[in-house]
Amino acid sequence: MEEYAREPCPWRIVDDCGGAFTMGAIGGGIFQAVKGFRNSPVGVNHRLRGSLVSIRTRAPQLGGSFAIWGGLFSMIDCSMVKMRGKEDPWNSITSGALTGAILAARNGPIAMVGSAAMGGILLALIEGAGIMLTRFASAQFANGPQFMEDPSQSQLQPAYPFGDYRQYQ
Amino acid sequence: MPVAVGPYGQSQPSCFDRVKMGFMMGFAVGMAAGALFGTFSCLRIGMRGRELMGGVGKTMMQSGGTFGTFMAIGMGIRC
Repeated sequence: MEEYAREPCPWRIVDDCGGAFTMGAIGGGIFQAVKGFRNSPVGVNHRLRGSLVSIRTRAPQLGGSFAIWGGLFSMIDCSMVKMRGKEDPWNSITSGALTGAILAARNGPIAMVGSAAMGGILLALIEGAGIMLTRFASAQFANGPQFMEDPSQSQLQPAYPFGDYRQYQ
Repeated sequence: MPVAVGPYGQSQPSCFDRVKMGFMMGFAVGMAAGALFGTFSCLRIGMRGRELMGGVGKTMMQSGGTFGTFMAIGMGIRC
């Protein structure tokens, strides 16, 4: 699983920040290309130029806001890992909610609550999807993942042993 | 790193498989989030009944597509 084979903690912040920037920039590029293409005046030249302009102006912005979200998220995540001494889905959910609250802090307490709820629900959905996926994958390989038998790989910490999650539900 | 065979037996999922899986996962998450938030926002602007169903469905598809695209990109840049 991609989600849980992540970097160890301090470097995870940098990793998440950069990954989020790239993701936002590429995704924003795709969406803004379509939007600029549709919003421009008639003519292929105008349309191509319009989509280029809108990519150039908007995609880095979206990447930046993604990067802020990702960086703050994993900062809080890492702090919670250090404080609570364990890594579980609650960490992500709480840090998603806190990130939403902090980033909306300038808009007043009501916006903070709304944004925190949104971040928490979103992260809960993502974590839930990850858990479902892990369970599905572990059901597919019925004889169990083979790396459990290989002692030389035990230091890899392979993707949280399946079934560890069940106690959180 | 001793990953000669790959941890999952016969095959490490290929890059395209992972992108596809990321899209599916993002689509599911986006559908769920769109159902939640879309219901609230459609109720707020005063949709009821059949119209509400349409509005919520539209929001679900939109946010599912957006999420799926971003998730697919996120998987794609890490493989």
